[in-house]
Amino acid sequence: MAKEYALRMGDGKRVHLTKEQIYEDVMAGSEDAADLADVPVLDSNDVDEIVEILMIPGRMVGVESGREVPVTHDIGTLRIDGDQGNSGVGIPSSRLIGMMMHERAFGADSMELGHIDYSFKPVKPVIAQEMQSMEVVQQNMIVPVVYGAMPNMGLYYRPDGPFDNPGDLMKAFKIKEAQQATEDAADHLTRDMVWIMQKMMKSGSDGVNFDTCGAAGDGDLYGTLRAVEALRKEFPEMYIETGMAGEMVLGLHGEIAYDGQVLAGLWPHQQAKLMAKAGSNIYGPAINTNTAQTSAWNLGRAVTFVKAAVEESPIPIHVNMGMGVGGIPMFETPTIDAVSHASKAMVEVAGVDGI
Amino acid sequence: MNAQAETLRKNLVDAIVECDIDKTKSNVEASRGILSPQEIIDALSEGMHEVGIKFERGKLFLPHVMVAANAMTSAVALIEGDLAESMTGGSRGHVVMGTVEGDVHDIGKSIVSTMLQCAGYDVNDVGRDVPTATFLEAVKEGNADVLGLSALMTTSMQTQKEVIETLIEKGMRKDVQVIVGGAPVTQAFSDKIGADGYSENASEAVKLVHRLLGN
Repeated sequence: MAKEYALRMGDGKRVHLTKEQIYEDVMAGSEDAADLADVPVLDSNDVDEIVEILMIPGRMVGVESGREVPVTHDIGTLRIDGDQGNSGVGIPSSRLIGMMMHERAFGADSMELGHIDYSFKPVKPVIAQEMQSMEVVQQNMIVPVVYGAMPNMGLYYRPDGPFDNPGDLMKAFKIKEAQQATEDAADHLTRDMVWIMQKMMKSGSDGVNFDTCGAAGDGDLYGTLRAVEALRKEFPEMYIETGMAGEMVLGLHGEIAYDGQVLAGLWPHQQAKLMAKAGSNIYGPAINTNTAQTSAWNLGRAVTFVKAAVEESPIPIHVNMGMGVGGIPMFETPTIDAVSHASKAMVEVAGVDGI
Repeated sequence: MNAQAETLRKNLVDAIVECDIDKTKSNVEASRGILSPQEIIDALSEGMHEVGIKFERGKLFLPHVMVAANAMTSAVALIEGDLAESMTGGSRGHVVMGTVEGDVHDIGKSIVSTMLQCAGYDVNDVGRDVPTATFLEAVKEGNADVLGLSALMTTSMQTQKEVIETLIEKGMRKDVQVIVGGAPVTQAFSDKIGADGYSENASEAVKLVHRLLGN
């Protein structure tokens, strides 16, 4: 009987595969990504390398010496204090203590300050508190600290915001009205994000992390790109990281364009160029995990998307690796074997600049 | 089918794929008397199928799907008089759809609702942050065939289980098929809480409902 290796399904369940099965799944995942995004499939050396990584029996693996990359944490400030309900470990502590633990104990190379709701819009009423927190954080931290939150344009639609919900309008076949609501919401989103970051930059922030861009579709990304452009103009030296919500830009507007480029349907290698054009320093692709497929399939697919983005991106790529993204299972606290094997492949095969 | 009829059939398919309402309607008019009503509907359906594939592949987007669906509805209305009652495309089933209480995420659930609507289902989208009692009421009132429960957070996915348990308590579980979805939800979780189905995305959700209702 052929030797089997312990891998994971996309939902975290254990699965045992032979080397041949792992190879077939990595190839199939790569072909799926290549077909969707019109990018090259992984060559046989890359596939062999991923297969070898997945067959390493250790629970935790690391990159080869000399190939280390910077690691940062979105919302890491809350991971210590928050309990399992907040994807954390439930140790009572402040945001500052959470950040300092990441910096001094866990080896994080940069951090962000984020608030518990983690969307930009709700920062407005508590901006003074956030500015004060940023000042205190900057006085205590050594690594770069940016302010981070999600654009989350859904908050600008009724009942949370002033504009009609495009989902409801489309169901009534009011397509033009739905598109207009998206454009109006994007204008407000840009304005709020720029205003909040002007305040945070005054308080010593090293920059901004726009996290889960495009979560509310192409309008959400449009609003964010315009905010990036405005901030870059006003603060030429600030760090701007733009990380995505998913692998492809959802077309809820369908026709909205930035710099002449229709945003709906863009894949990571196309997103990277646009992020750079707007003024981002770092782009963070997020590749969705399919829970019904093996980690070999998901990793082959994710590495294919990200490698193509790395090759075409004019700016560094810090790939999102975590719950349900980057070939890692969709699980509240993903297992260390899945996280570390996938991360090694992203660095050594896809060639990312950071995680 | 002769060459002229084949060209007309192809024009109908193309008009739907191009999401062009006026073109679809004028092609239907041009086809009447040459193609049978059934052939016209088959061509329109083929176009919608292609639109669905393009949506799945990220080549067309929700507004396009809606325009195509609108084109199909308008086109069928033109030939309604020529059709037997059984062919007018009544609802394929009644679906109640919503995001569970404590979760304000709306977009993914709305995409599924819209895609089901486009696929011919009568969808009652009861919104987001929906109390369990509202789901039960909507199922009862609409005599729903399917109840769709969305949850985007690990904290709110447990409420999907609570809704199913309440359906059991009230003796309503056998009357409705329950499907679950949302980013953190998996097939394993769906099995664990006793749902009838789970899907990864909106296109799969439509196929799931087809399968559950035998459509």
